[in-house]
Amino acid sequence: MNPVEQARQDALSLFKELGLPNKCNEDWKYTDVSRLEGLLDIGGVGADVHSEGLGMVDLDAYRMVFANGVFDAAQSNLPDAVEIVSLAALEASVSGEESKALAKLFHVSGNEPLVNGLTALNAAIASDGAAVCLADNSVLDKPLYILHVSNQNNAIRHGLMLGENAQAQVIEHFISVGEENALSNCVTAVILKNGASLEHSRLQQEGKKQAHVARVEVKQFRDSSYTFHGIELGASLSRTDLVVSLSEPGASCELNGLFVLDGRQHVDHHTRIDHQAPHCVSRENYRTVLDGRSHGVFNGKVVVHKGAIKTDSSQSNGNLLLSNHAQIDTKPELEIYNDDVKCAHGATVGQLDDKQLFYLRSRGICEEAAQELLVFAFADEILAAMSNQVVRSYVEKAAFAKLPHASDLDGLMG
Amino acid sequence: MLVIKDLHVSVGGKEILKGLNLTINAGEVHAIMGPNGAGKSTLSNVIAGHDGYEVTSGSLTYKGEDLLAMKPEERAWAGVFLAFQYPVEIPGVNNTYLLKAGVNAKRKHQGLTELDAFDFMSVVKEKAKLVELDASFLSRSVNEGFSGGEKKRNEIFQMAVLEPDLALLDETDSGLDIDALRIVAGGINKLRSPDRAIVMITHYQRLLDYIEPDFVHVLAEGKIQKTGDKSLALKLEEHGYDWVKENL
Ligand SMILES: Nc1ncnc2c1ncn2[C@@H]1O[C@H](COP(=O)(O)OP(=O)(O)O)[C@@H](O)[C@H]1O
Ligand SMILES: [Mg+2]
Repeated sequence: MNPVEQARQDALSLFKELGLPNKCNEDWKYTDVSRLEGLLDIGGVGADVHSEGLGMVDLDAYRMVFANGVFDAAQSNLPDAVEIVSLAALEASVSGEESKALAKLFHVSGNEPLVNGLTALNAAIASDGAAVCLADNSVLDKPLYILHVSNQNNAIRHGLMLGENAQAQVIEHFISVGEENALSNCVTAVILKNGASLEHSRLQQEGKKQAHVARVEVKQFRDSSYTFHGIELGASLSRTDLVVSLSEPGASCELNGLFVLDGRQHVDHHTRIDHQAPHCVSRENYRTVLDGRSHGVFNGKVVVHKGAIKTDSSQSNGNLLLSNHAQIDTKPELEIYNDDVKCAHGATVGQLDDKQLFYLRSRGICEEAAQELLVFAFADEILAAMSNQVVRSYVEKAAFAKLPHASDLDGLMG
Repeated sequence: MLVIKDLHVSVGGKEILKGLNLTINAGEVHAIMGPNGAGKSTLSNVIAGHDGYEVTSGSLTYKGEDLLAMKPEERAWAGVFLAFQYPVEIPGVNNTYLLKAGVNAKRKHQGLTELDAFDFMSVVKEKAKLVELDASFLSRSVNEGFSGGEKKRNEIFQMAVLEPDLALLDETDSGLDIDALRIVAGGINKLRSPDRAIVMITHYQRLLDYIEPDFVHVLAEGKIQKTGDKSLALKLEEHGYDWVKENL
C-alpha cells in the first residue's frame, strides 16, 4: 500500500476508535453532533451541482471551484507558474518520496489538540482539495478564491504550504444549493515557513439545513504571520476547530471571527493557540450577533509554554444578543507556564447601548434603523480587519442581509 | 415655538423637575443656569425625547403639537436638536454617514428629495469650517477617540448641518479652552436666526460674553426660580446660586 493510502487507512481506524464526539467530552459540551450520524458517508462523489455565477463573481482572483467535493476545472482559473493543483490529481500522480511527503497531509494523531472522530474521518474519505505549495520568496499576485458548492455530503481537505517569505491571500467560501440535510466536513492544513505570510478567510454561508464541521490547523515557523477571518452566516450547525502553533520565535497570528445568526442556528468555534517559542504575538477578536433562538459558542484557549518568554497575547470576545431566546457560551482560557508574558483577555455579553440608540434617534434616525446601524457597526469592526475590500464588502452585504430591518439603511456601505 | 407648562419629571422614582414653566419663541436665545444636579440635563433630555425620564404631569407644546406624543426621531424631523453634555462615542458608525442619514430622513419627512452624496459632501465641508472642524473628523467614527473639546465642536457642527428650529446646547462650553470657546461661540452666533430658537445651558458667564442671550433663567430645586436679562448672569457670577435661594 502506498504511504497516502496507508495514512488514510490509519485515519479510518482512528475514526472507528474515536467515533463521533459527544457531550462527555468537555470540548463538545455545548454542541450536539449526534444528528450527523447518518450524514457521514459522502456516497457517490461528484453528483451534479452547478456553480456558474455563484460566489464572489466580482473578485479579481485565481479561482478554484469544488462541486460536491470534486475539483471542477472548467469553472476554475489557476496561475500557470505556481503550484496550485487539485489534491486528488496530485494524489494520483505522486510516487516514491513524493508520496511519503504527501502522506503527511493525511496523517492524523489523536494526541493533537482538538482532534476528534470527524477530523480523522475527513482524512480517511476526503475526495479532493486544494494543494498549494508556494516556493520560497514567491508572492501570489492575486488572491486564491476557493469556492465550495454542494448539495450533498462532502469532505474536502486543503493543504496550504508557503515557503520562506512567500505571501498569499486565500479565501474559502462555502455555499450550498437547495435545502439538503447534508454535512460538509472540511480540513485546511497550513504550514508557514520562515517569514511567510498568509491572510486566510473562511466564509461559511451554507443552506439552512446544512451541517458544517471544519478544522484549520496552522503550523508557524520563525517570523511568519497568519491572519484568519472566520465568518459564520449559514448552516444550522457549524463547528470549527482552529489550532495554531507558534513554534518558533517572532511568529504572529491574528484570529478574527464573526457569527451573525438567527433562527435555530448553532455555531461553535474552538480556537487554540500554542505559544511554544519566545517573542511570539497572538491577537484574537471574536464577535457574535445572535438573534432568534440561535446559539453561539466561543472557546478560545491560549497556552503559553514554559520557554515562551516575552509572549504577547490578547483576546477579546464581544457578544450581542438581539433576542431573549438567543444564547452564547463563551469561555476564554489562558494557561501560562512562565512569568515573562503579556496576556489580556475578556468577554462581554450585552444588548444594544441605550445611550447610543438615543443619540442616533435624536439625529433623526428612526428606531429600527438606529438598532440596525449599531448592530452593523458592531459586526463591521471585525470585517474592517480584512485587507481585501471586495471580499469585505461581499461579506458585509451578506451579513447585513441577515439583519431584521436591513432595508432602512440603504447606502450604508457606500 | 416651545411652551412648557407645570412640568413634573421623575428619574428612578425621584422627582427632579417640580412644576417647571418656560416659553421659548423663534429668534430668541435663552440661557439656563443653575447648580449641579438641578435638573438642567433632565430638562433637555425630556425635550429631546429620552425615555429614561418619567413625565408625571404637565405639558410640552412644540409648534402647537404635543411633544410628548412624539418619538425622538420625530422630534428631530420637526426641528428639535440637542447638543449633548456628554456626547456618546459610537465606534463603527461614520460621522458623515450619520449626518447624511439624519438629514435625508428629515428631508423625506418634509417631502423634499434626498441629497445625493456629492451635494451632501459640499454642505458638510462648508459647515465644518464654521466650527473649524478638520475634515479628517468627517470620516471618523462618531466621537470615537475625540477629545472633550472635539466632541463639543462636533455637536455644533451637527447642529449646523441639521439646521434645527429649536437647539438645546447642554453645557457646550464645558471643557473648551478659551480659543475653542471663541470658535464654537462664533459658530453658534452664525447659526442665530429669526426662525431659530437657541437654549444654552451653562454654568459660566463667559459663554454669554460671546453669545448674548435675550433671557437668562435660573433653574434650581426643580423650577425656574428667576428670569432676567443678561445682567442676571453677572449677578449670579458675583453672588452664586445661594443668592437666588435667599432672594426667593
Ligand atoms: N439616569 C438617571 N438615573 C438616576 N438619577 C439621575 C439620572 N439622570 C439624572 N439623575 C439625577 O437627577 C438629578 C438631576 O440631574 P441633571 O438633570 O443631570 O442635573 P444638571 O444637568 O442640572 O446638573 C441629579 O440628582 C441626578 O443625579
Ligand atoms: Mg447637566
